[in-house]
Amino acid sequence: MALKESEAIVLRTYDLREADLLVTLFTRAEGKVRGVARSAKRSKRRFGGALEPLTYVRAYYEDRERQELARLDSCEVLESPLAAEVSYPRAVALGHVAELLDELLPDREANDTVFRLALSVLAGLRGPDIWMPVTYFELWMTRLMGYLPELSECMVCGRTLNGSRAYFHALADGLMCPEDKRLASSEMSVESRGLAAQMFRAPVESFAGTPWPKRQGADLRKFLIQTLQRHIEKKLVTAGMLERIGT
Amino acid sequence: MSRLIDELKKLPGIGSKSAQRLAFYILRSSDEDAEALAAAVRDVKANLRLCSTCNNITDVDPCVYCSSATRNQRLVCVVEEPTNIAAIEKTKHFNGVYHVLHGSISPLHGIGPEQLRIANLMRRVEGEQVDEVIIATNPTVEGEATAVYLSGQLRRPGLKVTRIAMGIPVGSDIEYADEITMLKAMEGRREL
Ligand SMILES: [Zn+2]
Ligand SMILES: [Zn+2]
Repeated sequence: MALKESEAIVLRTYDLREADLLVTLFTRAEGKVRGVARSAKRSKRRFGGALEPLTYVRAYYEDRERQELARLDSCEVLESPLAAEVSYPRAVALGHVAELLDELLPDREANDTVFRLALSVLAGLRGPDIWMPVTYFELWMTRLMGYLPELSECMVCGRTLNGSRAYFHALADGLMCPEDKRLASSEMSVESRGLAAQMFRAPVESFAGTPWPKRQGADLRKFLIQTLQRHIEKKLVTAGMLERIGT
Repeated sequence: MSRLIDELKKLPGIGSKSAQRLAFYILRSSDEDAEALAAAVRDVKANLRLCSTCNNITDVDPCVYCSSATRNQRLVCVVEEPTNIAAIEKTKHFNGVYHVLHGSISPLHGIGPEQLRIANLMRRVEGEQVDEVIIATNPTVEGEATAVYLSGQLRRPGLKVTRIAMGIPVGSDIEYADEITMLKAMEGRREL
């Protein structure tokens, strides 16, 4: 079969047998593709640093007859996360991006919007500040996957929430007004709803450079993670790790 | 037989086919060989433990490196796994001691700094028993994250913290180095 070529982001790798690696790629051409990189563990010559998670690569691979896994022929590094310092918060944020893409994207379904989003967020994660790009990525992924409810009205009574307090709950699919909120709900501040609205209007680059402490948009991120976890029906490993990071 | 196959399958890198092949091999081997294998497995669990100073796997505590009079106890090389020590010992040019983390920071696996064995390294450093810490974690995202984290924790006056160089493998050709390897090689250049 013919060799395919596509830009891709490496999501994760698993050891396979003695020397091989099982690689999950988010390709621009075909979406999420799983492939085997033969001897990648032992001989680093062919792949070098190209299979490190979150490396932006040009991948060459071929499908094999009656086999779900592609054969990964080679990868050329376009941009490596190792080019900038890998602080602990940055490592967790990069892991978070990889986990969300891996868990949320279906196999073999191209999604150029998500691909461009991922590239721009990775660029935003070159520096040490993580909370803005993480918030932006979670928000857009939730929306692009079709899981984001309307943030401006109460999911129970339909009343507008503009100018009023809003609440969310781990088991509810949207925001609620003060009358309809459930027991043990959390509040989403007016500022965070404003941030979300801004983030839908502007690219991630436009938020760069402004200070963004961890507490900013923390309620929005909690709401987004709860929403995503409800849809994929499992806990996101990196969400808990992000939470434990200091400012 | 199926019990043996199931147990072998739990080993890393062993699938169903390999497990069957190993099980049949053991079945056909002499009683003494099979018994020796079982005894070796039992003994490894009964007698081996971690060195309380450096976390290396050892049958005596402190381990041979930590108790050596000829090794420089003030020069500590930090590695991810006990097996990494053999790779450094092969050079025959390192005369310091070790510290084994038993892993690296790996957010996708839920492994943060709390899961690594760092506390006894900090105790050695705080006791001013160390002049230099060489961080020899792998040149991967996980190894780098671990190195950057450790260097932050270790920073104090009078302690040198260094990172092993990353770059072009000896005997290879610059032409075939990928861009990130080349970049790291440039960053790690030294004066001649
Ligand atoms: Zn309502
Ligand atoms: Zn020791």
